[in-house]
Amino acid sequence: MHAALSVILFTVLSGMGLGAFAIVAADELARTFSARADALAPWNVAGAIALALVIAGLCFSTLHLANPKNAWRSAARFRTSWLSREAVFAVAFLATAAAFLGARWMGVAAGARVVLAVLTVGLAWVVIVCTAMIYASLKPIRAWHTWRVPLNYLLLAHASGAVLIVAILDGTAIAMQPLRMLAAGLLLVAALAKWEYRRYLAGDQRRVTLESALGVAHGVRGAGAPATVAARLLDVGHSRGTFLTREFVVTPTPVRQQAAVIAMWLGVYVLQLLWLWQGTRNPIAAALAIVVLLSGLLAERWLFFVEARHTVRLYHGERRV
Amino acid sequence: MKLGLVIDLDTCVGCHACATACKEWNGASAISGPLTDDSPYGADPTGVWFNRVRHYEVGEFPGCKTINFPMSCLHCEDAACVSVCPTGASYKREDGIVLVDQDRCMGCNLCAWACPYGARELDPASGTMKKCTLCVDRIYDQSLPVEEREPACVLACPTHARHFGDFDDPQSKVSQLTASRNGFGLLGELDYKPVNRYLPPRTPPQAASPAPAVASEGALARLIARARAAITG
Repeated sequence: MHAALSVILFTVLSGMGLGAFAIVAADELARTFSARADALAPWNVAGAIALALVIAGLCFSTLHLANPKNAWRSAARFRTSWLSREAVFAVAFLATAAAFLGARWMGVAAGARVVLAVLTVGLAWVVIVCTAMIYASLKPIRAWHTWRVPLNYLLLAHASGAVLIVAILDGTAIAMQPLRMLAAGLLLVAALAKWEYRRYLAGDQRRVTLESALGVAHGVRGAGAPATVAARLLDVGHSRGTFLTREFVVTPTPVRQQAAVIAMWLGVYVLQLLWLWQGTRNPIAAALAIVVLLSGLLAERWLFFVEARHTVRLYHGERRV
Repeated sequence: MKLGLVIDLDTCVGCHACATACKEWNGASAISGPLTDDSPYGADPTGVWFNRVRHYEVGEFPGCKTINFPMSCLHCEDAACVSVCPTGASYKREDGIVLVDQDRCMGCNLCAWACPYGARELDPASGTMKKCTLCVDRIYDQSLPVEEREPACVLACPTHARHFGDFDDPQSKVSQLTASRNGFGLLGELDYKPVNRYLPPRTPPQAASPAPAVASEGALARLIARARAAITG
């Protein structure tokens, strides 16, 4: 699949923002039910930054539209379309999250804050799942049509969000050890899920062949013919690129792909774990960690698109997808 | 009603007349025209087509066949392009035709991703998704003679490899052809229930038979055997 920068930025930034905000809202619950009393203001700053990231991501998502003047219609198919659901729940999240932050800032009664916090966490999860389900609901793309996609989106959103919160709160008086443990734990689980997903990608499950796409397997071949009749593309019928080749028949060079795989493992997982583990408080290191994390996530999301192979590629001569 | 096409892979000669007739009719159509081109006379021409013809070789020599394979929207009964559309621009009519309302589409590409057949193409000039309309502005047009109330691709086909009709009617030409010639749908494993049917070649392609042993030991036979070995490596 073609990897549009706008969609990569949207899913990475919104995911990170939603994960971070879910943790900020969960912290409200944690301080309600335990006797914690560390400063609220830095947490509110973290929440505001997370909210800004979500809004920035949503702005990037509109750049992907070829006809954005009709974007306001995108809530019309809530009953069947995950994109519709995402649009509706994203607006609901923004409103609830803003109300939650406002309530904390103005010191509204704890009861209302807890209700808003629970709503915000729930909506953040729903938005992340809706984004992932846009991809996971597409049957022609084997790499996406799996439960692994929402799982990875949820884990990466929370892991990157947790790292962001550690980086933001690093310079404050707040005890960082539990937060570092949380971020490291989420990163480890996310790495495990990513490893399993990449094993699935390389595996043979649910692949479709050119022969099946042409009906050779059950139609063209006819009764009584051997099962191994092979097909190959002679001519694709057009002399230059088409919408289909630009959108679906995109293959990264092996060097770029390998570089992205390394950038992902280092930037998202290994270097972040090292930074969390060393534990010294240094604002430059914290800023650097976020830059490295974002670079790693961009590589991760780029791979998510370019490694996904649509069945249209079969009609363009690919043997299996 | 379940309107759709039957495409005969036995008689299709791959001339692209259906594709060009489609481009001509729908390019001037008010339903989703124009079908714009980008640098049509330049070095890298590209444009929107509702119908594309590809060519494959199936089977192995000497039992192989060239199969010309026209593809347009298959007007699926379970059309994911319609259900994923967030704006409601994509819709399926009572007669089975899947259309895109050009005034509602926001150009998000999701329907094209959901279509396993590559039936939808984004027109960058309008920013909207375009696709086969089954010539909805021809097939019901009372001002046309009855025999011309068919999709442009069907009328243009010089070998009568394309047929249009209602698959819900067991007496229709398309139903009869599908039944008598073992018509099949594409990518059944994805379960989109495509309506269009393809008719297999009357002589099916064959897999390679075991290499014939060179029994006769003449000079010519040895020469042929060596030539064949040189060619096939």
